[in-house]
Amino acid sequence: MIEIGREWGLFLFRRLSYFVVSLVLVSIITFSVTNLLGNPVYLLVGTRYTQEMVDNLTAELGLDKPIPERYLNYVRNLLQGNLGVSRYSFNAVSDEIQARLPATLELSTYALILGVLWAVPAGIIAGIRPHSLFARFADLMARAGVSMPGFWLGLLLIFVFYAEFNLLPAPLGRIPRRIGAPPSVTGWYTIDSLLAGDMEKLSASFQQLLLPALTLALTTSPSILQITRNKMQEVMSSDYVRAARGFGLPSRVINRYAFKNILASVITMIAMTYGYLLSGTVLVEVIFTWPGLGLYAVDAMNHSDYEPIMGVVLLSAGFYLFVYFVADILHALIDPRVRIQA
Amino acid sequence: MTTVARARQVFERVRPGRSSLYQRLIDANGATRVNVNFALLIAIVLLGLAAPILPLRNPVQPLPLERLQPPSAEHWFGTDTNGMDVFSRTIHAIRTDFTLAISSVVIGIVIGVPLGAISGYYGGRVDDVITRITEVFQGFPQILFAMAVLAAAGNSLVNLILVIAFYNIPVYSKMVRSVVVPLREVEFVQAAQVAGNRPAAIVFRHIIPNALVPVFSQLPLSCAYAVQMIAGLSFIGLGVSIPTPEWGSMIQNGASQIVFGKWWVSVFPGLALFLSVWVLNNVSDIFKSLVIRRA
Repeated sequence: MIEIGREWGLFLFRRLSYFVVSLVLVSIITFSVTNLLGNPVYLLVGTRYTQEMVDNLTAELGLDKPIPERYLNYVRNLLQGNLGVSRYSFNAVSDEIQARLPATLELSTYALILGVLWAVPAGIIAGIRPHSLFARFADLMARAGVSMPGFWLGLLLIFVFYAEFNLLPAPLGRIPRRIGAPPSVTGWYTIDSLLAGDMEKLSASFQQLLLPALTLALTTSPSILQITRNKMQEVMSSDYVRAARGFGLPSRVINRYAFKNILASVITMIAMTYGYLLSGTVLVEVIFTWPGLGLYAVDAMNHSDYEPIMGVVLLSAGFYLFVYFVADILHALIDPRVRIQA
Repeated sequence: MTTVARARQVFERVRPGRSSLYQRLIDANGATRVNVNFALLIAIVLLGLAAPILPLRNPVQPLPLERLQPPSAEHWFGTDTNGMDVFSRTIHAIRTDFTLAISSVVIGIVIGVPLGAISGYYGGRVDDVITRITEVFQGFPQILFAMAVLAAAGNSLVNLILVIAFYNIPVYSKMVRSVVVPLREVEFVQAAQVAGNRPAAIVFRHIIPNALVPVFSQLPLSCAYAVQMIAGLSFIGLGVSIPTPEWGSMIQNGASQIVFGKWWVSVFPGLALFLSVWVLNNVSDIFKSLVIRRA
């Protein structure tokens, strides 16, 4: 018992320190991009400025100080949750991000659920019967999904389902304006409408969600499909599965054993996909005018507004590392060997 | 049959002569898959190279009276919102997209390969630092980070190439590292060390050549990824802008028209983008089958 506790303690400490070091590296990288690649003063003063304006602003922002001191200031601000102020809307970036985060989270979560519902069963079936017609079909879907530019696929779906056959509403945000957003509890429109018991809002928000979530699911699920399929195929041709077959175990039982063995890698891949989705939604959000983080960053960029982009970059990188950290712990729960080795 | 001929026959069957690269690719992947994908890739590259001498319309000539014309005998793929010929632009865009993609991948290789070799050969602290940095980089939100860099350093083609090259560095350094680490203990490397070669000479002359096959099979995949990045960034108005023909900005040009049913402006360049990425991915897979077989 004590042995296991010590093992977990060491493992968690290692992973946690790894997580923190990575976060520090992320902050160093974003700091260098803002402060070494470009001069934030010129980004702030705009096109018409005098030398005096530049000097004043430089002093005001503390840019005349040495770089290590500036970096510490930067980190202090970050730790206080201060991501700067948008110079276009004059709102604090952290407030704007807080307001838009649920939109992106809702979209990427549904996309992930759709993708996993397709990719994991398909990968398992294709892995069990690698030469079947279905395996070929799954392979084709995976290849197509990897090569498909998401923003183009989104446009195609809009053309077919909205412009040609008018089956789904216009790709304008999370819910049609005439219906209006549900009273905000979680910020997720589907959950909020359910909580309010408003079926009209629920179906309206699902209709808006369907196409962008489908687009993202099709373009991000191939990696999950491929890893499930490859691992399944590997496990099915392993010695212990052959032994189990030799003992005459029913294939249902064998498949369950095999699934347990691929679970760890599949979960890691799902976590990585989720981490990627939070920022991978950018182009799809633009297509569907989905008011999430990606659209926020692109709008900011079009107004030469710098702080929001940096804020979203930091948040996405942090989220990715966090999801990865959680996946590592899950991995260790499933497979005890990881705790000792890594 | 003479004894010699008979012996040769047996010998050939036991140890067949080293077959050509093409033959080995076909053995591993099937003839159709190899031929179709290579033919398509060659066709795309040739079309791009020959675009200026082909009898195409001027790709950057706006025809104000012929805006948004549907596909016809005159304009095979129709015209865009500026009245430019979509067919000609789609073909010319091969030049833009492939040139940018290949430049960024080559820069990524030139920096990433030595970095990975150094990291793998020296091990220890150097290795830890390089590995950690590359891992953090791979978790970065790529499109967003490219947006941030282009916003800070200025939106130019050179910066676009550099940003994408930056993402290729970890890919290659990681790959080369994984080839180098097991080689450190191999006899020919130890022999080179004992013979008094300097580490740099060992890394470049004896170790890196062993990493070239995986690197070259990764190359088409990186190009596919780079093309996707370039198109995606141009789609949101970074990187390449109109009138230069480029698939992403062409799709952007037609994006607002698609809800009115004017599909051709976006669909054709997107199809070209999809097809190119698809073929590049497949070619990379075909080459990778060699790497896996060797291992």
